[in-house]
Amino acid sequence: MTRIRKIGRSGLLMWPVLLCSTGALPLWSAIGDAQQPDHTHQLGLKVKCMCGGCNDSAGGCYHVGGAFSGPCGTALGMLKKIDERIAQGNSDDLIVQSFVQEYGQAVLTETPHSGFGRVAWWIPALALIGGFALVLSVISRWRKPLAPEPALARAGHGAPISSELLDRARAQAARDTED
Amino acid sequence: MDVFGSFALILAFICAVYAFGGGIAAIITRHPLLVKSTRQAGIATCCLIFIATFSLEYLFFSDNFSAAYVVAHSNRALATFYKVAALWAGQEGSLLFWSFLLSIYVFSVLIAYRNKNGELMPYVGVILAGVQIFFLTLNNFVASPFKALAVPGANGAMDLVARADGNGLTPLLQYPEMVIHPPNLYSGYTGFTIPFAFALAALLARYPGEKWIHLTRKWTMIAWCFQTAGILLGAHWAYAVLGWGGYWGWDPVENASLLPWLTGTAFLHSVMMQEKRGMMKVWNVWLVFSTFILCILGTFLTRSGVVSSVHAFAQSSIGSWFVGFLIVIFGVCLVAYLKNRDYLKSENQLDAIVSRESSFLFNNLILLVSCIAVLSGTLFPVLSEAVSGSKINVGAPFFNKVNIPIGLFLLFLTGVGPLLAWRKTSVESLKRNFAWPLMIGLLAGAVIFALGYREIYSLICFSLCFFVTATIVMEFYRGAKVIRMRSSASYLTSAIELTMRNTRRYGGYIVHMGMVLIFIGLAGAAFNQNVQKEMQPGSSMQLGKYKLVLQSFDSKPEANYTGLRLNVEVFVNDKPLMMLYPERRIFETNGETGTMVAIYSTLREDLYVVYAGQSPDTKLPVIHAYLNPLVKWIWFGGVIVVFGTLVALLPNRRAVLVLSGAKQPTPEPLVHGMTPSVTYREGHD
Repeated sequence: MTRIRKIGRSGLLMWPVLLCSTGALPLWSAIGDAQQPDHTHQLGLKVKCMCGGCNDSAGGCYHVGGAFSGPCGTALGMLKKIDERIAQGNSDDLIVQSFVQEYGQAVLTETPHSGFGRVAWWIPALALIGGFALVLSVISRWRKPLAPEPALARAGHGAPISSELLDRARAQAARDTED
Repeated sequence: MDVFGSFALILAFICAVYAFGGGIAAIITRHPLLVKSTRQAGIATCCLIFIATFSLEYLFFSDNFSAAYVVAHSNRALATFYKVAALWAGQEGSLLFWSFLLSIYVFSVLIAYRNKNGELMPYVGVILAGVQIFFLTLNNFVASPFKALAVPGANGAMDLVARADGNGLTPLLQYPEMVIHPPNLYSGYTGFTIPFAFALAALLARYPGEKWIHLTRKWTMIAWCFQTAGILLGAHWAYAVLGWGGYWGWDPVENASLLPWLTGTAFLHSVMMQEKRGMMKVWNVWLVFSTFILCILGTFLTRSGVVSSVHAFAQSSIGSWFVGFLIVIFGVCLVAYLKNRDYLKSENQLDAIVSRESSFLFNNLILLVSCIAVLSGTLFPVLSEAVSGSKINVGAPFFNKVNIPIGLFLLFLTGVGPLLAWRKTSVESLKRNFAWPLMIGLLAGAVIFALGYREIYSLICFSLCFFVTATIVMEFYRGAKVIRMRSSASYLTSAIELTMRNTRRYGGYIVHMGMVLIFIGLAGAAFNQNVQKEMQPGSSMQLGKYKLVLQSFDSKPEANYTGLRLNVEVFVNDKPLMMLYPERRIFETNGETGTMVAIYSTLREDLYVVYAGQSPDTKLPVIHAYLNPLVKWIWFGGVIVVFGTLVALLPNRRAVLVLSGAKQPTPEPLVHGMTPSVTYREGHD
C-alpha cells in the first residue's frame, strides 16, 4: 500500500515535468534552426526610424497603418546608409555614431550609458537598493519585541488565562493558518 | 438624441455635485435624510450616465451623421458589431465610456451597501461622487461626444450640417478583440476606484478594524481580473493585427496599463498581511492610493500626447485637466494620511525573517521596483528633454534588461512564498516543502543545459517554471490526500473539494499556475525567427520546418473595404499541411490600410504570416513570415489566470468532515479544565 502511494505521489510529481516539457521540447529543435539576422538588420535595430510616424527601430520598422507593413521609406533609407557604411569598412560603433551626429541621441533605440542617459539606468537600481534598505529596516523594526500585554504578563505569573484572551489567541491562530 | 444625451450628461453632473456637496454635509451633520438623499443622487448620477451612453450608441446605430463624433468614427457600411466599438474609438466617446463603466461600479456599490456600513458609506459616496464629477466635467465641458457637426457659414457663423456618410472606424480597431479589449481594460482602470474610495474613506472616518479590506477584496480582485484580461487581450490584438510578429513592445500605452496592474498585484498580496497579522497598514493604504493614481496617470499618458504611441489618442489639451486631478488626488491622500496616520499603526511584530510575511515584503518590493522602472522608463524621454534639452529614448532594450531579472525573481517568489508558514518557518519545514520542487527545478535546468541550450534567462525561466509548478502541484496533492483519506474520493475530486473549501488560497494557486504558463510563453521569445521575401506565384520560402508556397493572390471587394489576399500553402517535410490567407484591407472611406495576419498556432509554435504589401520596385507581393515558439502558452496562461481569479472570488464551501475510518482524537483540556473548541483543518500551512 505504501509502495502504491509512493508511486502515485511520484507520478503526480511528474506532472509538472511533463507539462513544462511539452512547452520546452520545441526549443530543442529551435536551437539548431535559429537564424542570425544579417549585419545591416542588426545595426538597424540599434537606431530608431526617424520618420516621426512610428516608434520603431529602422531594422524593425513595420509602420502600423502604412501602405507597407515593413520598413517605411525613411527606415529603408537608413538601412541603405548602414549598408553603404558597412561596405566602406566602418566599424559598428562608427556607423551608429554617424547617425547620432545626424539626428542626436534621440536616434538611439538603446538608452545610452553616458551623460543624462545614465539616470534612466540608475533609477531602477536606486529603487531596488532603497527598497531593500526599506524592507530591512521594516523587518528590524518589526522584530523589536513589543511590551507584553498586561493580561499576558499576569498569565505568565501563574494567574488564570481569561476566556477572552484565549478566544483572541484562538482567533489569531485560526487567521494564521487559514491561507 | 444628441440633445437628449447632452441633457442627461448635464443632469448627471448636477446630481454628482449634489451627491458630493450634500454628502460632505451629511458626514458633518449626520442627518439620516441627507445621507439617504445624497445616496439617491449618486444612484441617479449613474442612471443618467447610462442614458447618455446609450444615447450615443443609438446615434451610431441610427447612422446619425449630424453628430461630429459619429461622423469621425463610423460609416454606414460599418458592421453592427463595430458600431458598438466605435463608442470608445475617439477621445470623447472613450471618456464617456470611462464614466459609464465607473457608474456601473458606483451603482453596484451604492445599491449593495445601501443599508450596511453606515459609518463608512457616506465617505465612500462622497469620494466616488468626486471622481465622477471630474469625468463628467470632461464629458460636459471639455470633450463632449454630443457636439453637432458644424461648418463655417457664409456670414462667418457656424451652420449645423449633416453628412451623408461618416469617415469610418480606423482599421486597427476593426478586429473582434477591439470590441472586448478596451471594455476589459477600462473596467480594470475604473474598478480600482472602488478600493481607493474605501481605503480613503476608512482613513478619513478612522473606520475600525480591517473591515474595509474585507469589503473591498472582491472589488479589487474583479478590477485586477479585468485589468489582467484587458492587458492580455491587448497583447493578442497587437499580435494579430499590427503585423510585427510580437505581442508586447513596451509602448508607453502598454506600459500605462501595466503600472496599476503591478501595484494592484502587490496590494492583493500585501493585504493578507493586514488581514492576518494587522501589519503593513500604511503600505496597503498607499498601495491602493498609488494604484488609483497610476490608473489616472495612465489615462493622462494615453490622452495628452505627452508620449508618442501607436495606441494613443490624438494630441489634445486635455492633459492639463488630468494633471490637475492627479495633484488634487495626491494632495487629498497625503493630507488624509498625515492627519490619521496614528490609526495605521502595526498591531504585530515579525517573528522570523524566514516567514510568509517576509516573502510578501520581498514580493511587494520587487513589484514596486518593476513599477518604478516601467514608470521612469516611460516618462524618461519627457524628463530628458526637459532637463538636458535633448530627447533620450527608452525602448524595449532598456525595459527587457531591467524587467527580465525582476520577473524571474518574482517567479521564484511565486514558488517560495506559499510554502512558507506565517510567523516562522522551521528548517524541517523548508526541507520538507522545498526538496522535491528544488530537485525538479534543478534537474530540469541541468537537462536543458545539457541539451545545448545556452540562453541564460530562458534557461533560468524554464527551471523556475518547473520549480513553481512542482510547488503548486505539491500543495494540491497534500491537501487532496487528506480529503481522499477521509472520503475515499479520487485525487481529482478531492482536489476540487479542497479548492472549493478554500477558494481564495487554491484559486490563488491556480492564478500562479497561469502565470507560470505565461512565463513559459514569454521565454519562447528568445527563439523567434523571421524571414521576408518578395514572391511571385509558385515561388516558395523556408522557415524552420515549414515551406511556404505562394499559390496565388487576389482582390475581393467587401462592404467596407477591399481585401487583397494571398493564398499561401504550407508544407512540412514536403507534405501539404494547410492553406493560410494573409490579407491587407484597404478602406475606401479614409484610404487607410489594415493587416490581417494568418496564424497557424500550436502549443509548440506559431507560424505567423503577414502580407506586408507590394514591393515598390517589382510590384510583387512581399511576405513576412515569423516562427514564434510557445506563444499559445501565453494566451492559455491568461485564461487560467482569469479562471483562478474567478475561483478565488467564489465563497468557501463549508467543510463537512467525513470521519468514518479515521479516529477523531479527543482533545486534551488545555487550561484549568477548559475544553477548547478545536477546529481540525485540512491542508497544509
